Amino acid sequence: MLLLEHPKVLRRSLPSGRRRRPPLLGRFRFGYVSPAVLLVAVLLYLPFLWTVYQSFTTYSGLGPTTWAGLANYRELLHDPVLLTAVWNTLLWVAGTLVLPVALGLLVAVLSFNIRGASWYRLPFLLPYAMSGTGVAVAWSIILQHGGIANSLLSALGLPGGGESFLLYAPQNTLVMILASTWQQLGVNALLFVVGLQSIPREPIEAARIDGASGWTMFRKIYWPLLAPLTAVVVGLSLVASLKTFDIVWVMTQGGPGTSSQTLAIAMYRDTFVADQYGYGSAIAVVLTVVSGLISFVYLRRQLGSRKEIGA
Amino acid sequence: MKRPRRRLLTVAASATVLTIAALAGCSSSQGGGGSATPSAPLKLYNDKGAWTQYFDQVGALAKKQLGFGVTPVGYTDEDTYQAFVDASFRTDVKPDLFTWQVGGQLQQIVSLGQVQNTDAIWKQGIADGNLSSSLEPYYTVNGQQYCVPLNVSYWGMFYNKHIFEKYGLTPPTTWAQFLHVAAVLKSHGVTPFYETTTLFSFVWFQQLLAGTDPTLYEQLEDGKASYTSPGVVNAMKIWQTFIDDGYMSNPGLTTNPATLLQQGTVAMIPDGSWFNTSMTQLNLKPGTDYGFFVIPNVNPSLPKTSVLFESGPLCSLSGAANSAADTKFLTWWVGQQPQQLWSSSRGDLSANPKVGLPDNADLTSVVTNVRAGKYNLLLRYFEAAPPPVLNTALEVFANFMVHPNTLMTDLDQIQSAAQTYWASHPAGS
Repeated sequence: MLLLEHPKVLRRSLPSGRRRRPPLLGRFRFGYVSPAVLLVAVLLYLPFLWTVYQSFTTYSGLGPTTWAGLANYRELLHDPVLLTAVWNTLLWVAGTLVLPVALGLLVAVLSFNIRGASWYRLPFLLPYAMSGTGVAVAWSIILQHGGIANSLLSALGLPGGGESFLLYAPQNTLVMILASTWQQLGVNALLFVVGLQSIPREPIEAARIDGASGWTMFRKIYWPLLAPLTAVVVGLSLVASLKTFDIVWVMTQGGPGTSSQTLAIAMYRDTFVADQYGYGSAIAVVLTVVSGLISFVYLRRQLGSRKEIGA
Repeated sequence: MKRPRRRLLTVAASATVLTIAALAGCSSSQGGGGSATPSAPLKLYNDKGAWTQYFDQVGALAKKQLGFGVTPVGYTDEDTYQAFVDASFRTDVKPDLFTWQVGGQLQQIVSLGQVQNTDAIWKQGIADGNLSSSLEPYYTVNGQQYCVPLNVSYWGMFYNKHIFEKYGLTPPTTWAQFLHVAAVLKSHGVTPFYETTTLFSFVWFQQLLAGTDPTLYEQLEDGKASYTSPGVVNAMKIWQTFIDDGYMSNPGLTTNPATLLQQGTVAMIPDGSWFNTSMTQLNLKPGTDYGFFVIPNVNPSLPKTSVLFESGPLCSLSGAANSAADTKFLTWWVGQQPQQLWSSSRGDLSANPKVGLPDNADLTSVVTNVRAGKYNLLLRYFEAAPPPVLNTALEVFANFMVHPNTLMTDLDQIQSAAQTYWASHPAGS
């Protein structure tokens, strides 16, 4: 409710008899929301609807648009390059769930309730302040052939001094997941710390009285009580991994060839490099639907079931 | 509850319509024509972001001689640049001047009917000796000329002179000598050749095929031959051998190739003569620090040495806000004085035959032989291949460098893209 609509404000500011539904303000209140509605409609809904329409057409970026029906979607099913993109995207999903989420949880738990904890967490959080592109450029310098990683491994007498980390699949995708983990870990740790801090003291103290500690305490008390927050962190990571673009584009542009291409990179390349706007739009629509469905089903299962248990 | 929601939707919908109408109104206020002497400098959009200082020098000369200058807007990412130019055809926001590619890409934008015709500039340029009639066909679509040459470049091999001198090597003139040079370098632990998976992945393919069977190379461009034909496979097998023998650099290197040549990480880089500009930027001296030679044919029975060449167009659009000034600039651009500055500042060639050659004996020798008709000039693959085939080929060649054992699968993939393209485009059109 807007402040001006509050009954007390209305009573004070308007003549009697028109207190409950003042037409003037009533009309204005829709004016207040219209800029936001307009922005969302013009910047989000219209482009999305346009993309959906474009996915049913053939358009080279130049010249006329022709209606293609489901042809672009049929082509999706038979495109070997897209299969590589799907496989790499799945690697990103799995890698993102295992590394930044699990390591974030580990950092949060290990640094929870100890003196100077925020100082321990700070180094993990700092990379999050960098843009994805900045992280990608830095890691390109580290991982390129003859780069910092090669020099360091050689200097330490370890294997990998001559390795081309970004050249071969699936190694190139795996090292990029590591680079992404470096950036994402800190913020996940921070979210988990917030979750840990919000756990009520009573069950923890009760468990301590019962003799629980260490792993048992984590498994039986912290983990179940962290579940709602874990669901959110996993959900966010899931969506982020499905639309992985910036780090891959800067580090390998999806190559060599198409070996490290993700679905988001395939969408970009097909649209803006190969000038197949219809096909690229079809990938965009599929990616949106898959991301939306997975998020919806996952969050509904995780949060919905907990609500039922709590009710 | 229904009425407010309906009213809300009505307000939002009205506002949306008004905004779209306002935006459309704003964009349609721009029109073509304009003054032949604009008050602000023309914007020259280009995909040569590293050449800004050279464009600036020409812009300053234009300001003196024409009364208006040009400001370069340089892109370094080819895909982003092409997406920008493509977008200008769909909106009323037009670049004043922009660089592009000849071949299929020029045909593509000309077919939209927005590229400014340059018949008069070419006619006058050829009459004055400022333009070469041998370049005219590459700027001709359906009998009419479009754009003017930004540059002309011949492809050959840049080499590190210090390394060659150290091992007593001289530029090869036959394929056997070429292989000998590579073997000697390899035996001394020097990587002979440079290759890259990024954008220029086509270079070794075009060179080896042109030096083996130039007719087949041209037939591929026109869809009259298959990428899986024995001639193409043979050329690719030579490349495969080079990779297997360790003659090629790591294709994932992202360091500036000029730096790699300077440092001796690689001894030779196949490139267009415009690569002289990259060497100039590192203060490397032709004839002292580096040299340039024409790569000998693989097939010694060919009557002429195959030399790949490219020419990049500088274009304007008929619907641009300053189209009169754009045409005035393009007419001036092909003249001797601006071209002399453009050529000497970069240490590279000009498309104007009257312009003196840069102080570079190797390059001078190549140009002299070109003018004497001693080479079989072939259009660079990047311009010669139709864009959809090129896109697939660039990805495939990049993959081939990393996995050279996938040769036949790779060629099948390009052939599949070529078949799809030529099925909807009559061969040779």
